Amino acid sequence: MNQAANILAALGGVANIIDIEPCTTRLRSEVRDPGLVDVAALRAAGAHGVMISGRVVQVVVGLSVDTLATDLEELM
Amino acid sequence: MVRHSVLKYVRVRDYLRSLVTHELAVGDAIPSERLLCERFGVSRMTVRQAVDALVVDGLLEREQGRGTFVAPTKVDLEVRLASFGEDMRRRGMEPSSRVLVAEEIAASSDIADALELLPGELVFYLHRVRYADGVPMAIEQTWLPSRLAPGLFDSGAPDSIYGELRRRGLDPDWGEDTVSATEVDAQDAELLGIRTGRALLCLTRRTFAGDIACSYSRSSYRADRYELWVPLRAPARALTPRAPRDGQVEGTPASGNLNGHRHTETSPTATRTAQ
Repeated sequence: MNQAANILAALGGVANIIDIEPCTTRLRSEVRDPGLVDVAALRAAGAHGVMISGRVVQVVVGLSVDTLATDLEELM
Repeated sequence: MVRHSVLKYVRVRDYLRSLVTHELAVGDAIPSERLLCERFGVSRMTVRQAVDALVVDGLLEREQGRGTFVAPTKVDLEVRLASFGEDMRRRGMEPSSRVLVAEEIAASSDIADALELLPGELVFYLHRVRYADGVPMAIEQTWLPSRLAPGLFDSGAPDSIYGELRRRGLDPDWGEDTVSATEVDAQDAELLGIRTGRALLCLTRRTFAGDIACSYSRSSYRADRYELWVPLRAPARALTPRAPRDGQVEGTPASGNLNGHRHTETSPTATRTAQ
């Protein structure tokens, strides 16, 4: 739950999220303002990579993606 | 508008593709140019272009003075977390390698980033040509953090890097591949026994054991001998924020969250500077 909360905060908080799609190894998120995304905080939260393209932010999290998705749903 | 001749070319090419994959066997000759010209009412040049395309795709092989024949089937490589050797054995082919370089070096910035190290930290670097049943198939460059596998090269380059990692209690259980296409340069063409400029499939791979970055590799597979297959499934349901949110200021319309004006925002991380 802690990791999900950290990731959510680093993505700019719930209010910045349009949606988050859990992929096999990544959380693919569309955000309102990419300027609010804190890449260093995402890495500190355990992300193995962060790709930002426009308003789409992909966070590489590996196999914990399912657990994270469940936790994120709680937090959102 | 697409030119009429282009569509004719596509028809001939797709006819040949179906013939090669579903009616002829490996080594069979394809119909003569004259026959194809008559059948489709096209010029010899159009037929040659269609045949060329399938030669480039690796479906057909030209033999000087003899004709054009169905090429050996490609190896279908599933994008999965297995080593080249494991993949070949699973297909009943005998893998082998020619080691070009096996050394311990300081990680450059890109390698360090991929392996979650600091630039300059030591990594093992292995550069190999991979063979299946003695035929060159791919060129692989692999890097892995030295501290994960001390003494990896002490008795020469290992046959299997994944095997060595497993022996040390690290079992890569997930990873990511990035696939791209390129043309082979003169050096790699010689190593692979193909002509310069032929197509290659490039796989860039990071592997992990849980949260530990285990290896980073760049592989170039001969496009005439390989095709990739990727299991698909529909994307998981996307998560969307609930509206109205818990903790929201009473009396604020739920739509306040959806139009980008976050007057009710309580999280300090989401505070937008005044514009």
